[in-house]
Amino acid sequence: MRLVIDERRCKGCNLCTMVCPYRIFKQGSKPNARGIVVPELDRPERCANCRLQALYGRTLCGMCQMICPDQAISWQEEEKNEPRKVAIEF
Amino acid sequence: MTRIDFMQGNTACAEGALAAGCRFFGGYPITPSTEVAEHMAVKLPKLGGVFIQMEDEIAGIASVIGASWTGVRSMTATSGPGFSLMMENLGFAVMTETPCVVVNIQRGGPSTGQPTMSAQGDMLQCRFGSHGDYSIIALSPASVQEMYELTIRAFNLADRFRVPVFLMADEIIGHMRERIEIPDSVPREERRLLDKGTLPFHAGSDLVPGFPQFGKGYGVHVTGLTHDERGYPCTTSPSVHEELVKRLVAKVESARDEIADYRVTNPAAEVVFITYGSPARTVEQLIHDHPEAKIGHLRLRLVWPFCEKALGEFPDARVFLVPEQNLGQMAREIERHTSVPVVPLPKLGGALHTPGELEKAMEIWR
Amino acid sequence: MTYTEWLREDRLPHIYCAGCGNGTVINCTLNAVDQMGWKKEETVFVSGIGCSSRAPGYIMTDSLHTTHGRALAFATGIKMASPDLNVVVFTGDGDLAAIGGNHFIHACRRNIDLTVVCMNNQIYGMTGGQGSPTTPMGALSTTTPYGSREPTFDLCELASAAGANFVSRWTSYHVKELTRAIHNGLKTSGFSFIEAAVQCPTNYGRRNKFRQVMDQIEYFKTHAVLQQKADRLREEGKPLPENSIVVGEFVHRNRPAMGVKR
Repeated sequence: MRLVIDERRCKGCNLCTMVCPYRIFKQGSKPNARGIVVPELDRPERCANCRLQALYGRTLCGMCQMICPDQAISWQEEEKNEPRKVAIEF
Repeated sequence: MTRIDFMQGNTACAEGALAAGCRFFGGYPITPSTEVAEHMAVKLPKLGGVFIQMEDEIAGIASVIGASWTGVRSMTATSGPGFSLMMENLGFAVMTETPCVVVNIQRGGPSTGQPTMSAQGDMLQCRFGSHGDYSIIALSPASVQEMYELTIRAFNLADRFRVPVFLMADEIIGHMRERIEIPDSVPREERRLLDKGTLPFHAGSDLVPGFPQFGKGYGVHVTGLTHDERGYPCTTSPSVHEELVKRLVAKVESARDEIADYRVTNPAAEVVFITYGSPARTVEQLIHDHPEAKIGHLRLRLVWPFCEKALGEFPDARVFLVPEQNLGQMAREIERHTSVPVVPLPKLGGALHTPGELEKAMEIWR
Repeated sequence: MTYTEWLREDRLPHIYCAGCGNGTVINCTLNAVDQMGWKKEETVFVSGIGCSSRAPGYIMTDSLHTTHGRALAFATGIKMASPDLNVVVFTGDGDLAAIGGNHFIHACRRNIDLTVVCMNNQIYGMTGGQGSPTTPMGALSTTTPYGSREPTFDLCELASAAGANFVSRWTSYHVKELTRAIHNGLKTSGFSFIEAAVQCPTNYGRRNKFRQVMDQIEYFKTHAVLQQKADRLREEGKPLPENSIVVGEFVHRNRPAMGVKR
């Protein structure tokens, strides 16, 4: 699973940066096209829900999604990485 | 078979509501309308309906509107000050197009006024009392029999046009006891449900959208804010608001001739009385006492929207005399629609006009 | 099914200001409703007027956005006429405690099977920050420019005194606890009242030394006192810390209720 912030909904209140136990959210630095400073993600793969939701079959933690007043945070299914043969040049 | 009974106007109103299929009553006791609530409290639980005495009239009409959205025919009854309290939520019912019936047994005002005396002072309030532009339907019974019949008609009109419909009776009619004929079956016009796949506030040619009843899976958002056809608030667009309000007015006003309900006596008369409610009884007495005088009488059973056509029933009229238990509220409306002189004959205080008083007024204009 | 499926996605983003706690309470309520396994067509959301009351407009189900303060009266009509519907009421402090105070105590007294979620932001947000019956003493608002001098309502005490079957209070910081409280409220037959203290950064925080949204959330975090602890302090005769918000489940009882599913 992959954590995404919906930039069309986020209003930049930064509550997610406060509640995440892994400190995945960082205050953003640049305003987007709507003039809103959307938080940035810092190594989101550390999120427990990203890693373990599929395994446990339920939402774990989920604090950021619950506290987000703008319903902007969600998890999306990731496309499976196709095993691919890679030629390595030495 | 028709059943003959002898009952009070308020009881007849409640009986009419039950016959019409009303199964929810939310109200608050107030003289002189309380008997409607009392009778409903006795009868509704036995019929599987709900009677609830709310904490005030505001809550009374609110509960009625809420119940109506679940598809139940619902009503409330009130008087004077209670009617004033209901005004905001009646505007809400108009805006959200909620069918409901409000019985107003009018008493003397302003304020607490004369709780046990008759008046007709709320005729303009029922039409214009809430803020903003809108249109409603109001009926006015002049006998116990009409308390029964017009209550049934009120429910049918409310469901057809999705507007609050008012039964504007007065204390005299409400507390009078008379012979009444109760028929076996009554006419019933059902609420048209919304077709699935249609936007909830999209109206066809009759300007009345289908009813998206709660609990049927329509997922409708009902709001008193200006809303678009989806029902979503849209408060800053001038065109959406204009379109909505014009439709709310037009759906009632465009049907004014079709739903018109009045009684004509002596159409060739030159002096014509126009009445509604209890003053009609005095005029009827006058006509009865002077059959040779050919007194014209137009009795309105449906008061709002005012039907201009009715005035045309008296082509030779030289004067319209309007006896009312107020200072000329409907006379003002009638004046708007005719070039014939309109003379208000106001009487306040709760007593009915006497035939002598009307005769005197008539003599001046003969 | 997750609670996001209850949202009217085409209406989002909603009208709330950045950082407004009402959105959080919507999340918690929908999560609790979703956990109940209710069907959308059997659920009705009702609200009055104000910021909080715009919430039903963002929810998929049948919803009634009524007049100021009267949400409970409308909900009473719906629930009494159709007890099979699940009725949830969103309301705010001004809506519930000021203009709708009478309807509130009478709905509690009747113990009608409703769940009421009150988003208490201690201010009139929609109209631009006027003082409400829950604005704390000394707080600034546009109508209390020298600090509010009126004592406030404790909505939870009001509800329990008036006879509600379930009364609980949490804040918009305590999302898990709030969700659980609403879930318990939905399960309880009779009148359930859940007060959620929410931040209003635009109209309350800005005037009352909470420059950032996070300051107010931090305040909730540090000033929330669990009911058990408050009881213990009271027993020991010690005063509660100043400005503390007592949170927890205050009442959970089974008095006779009206409008319960047949």
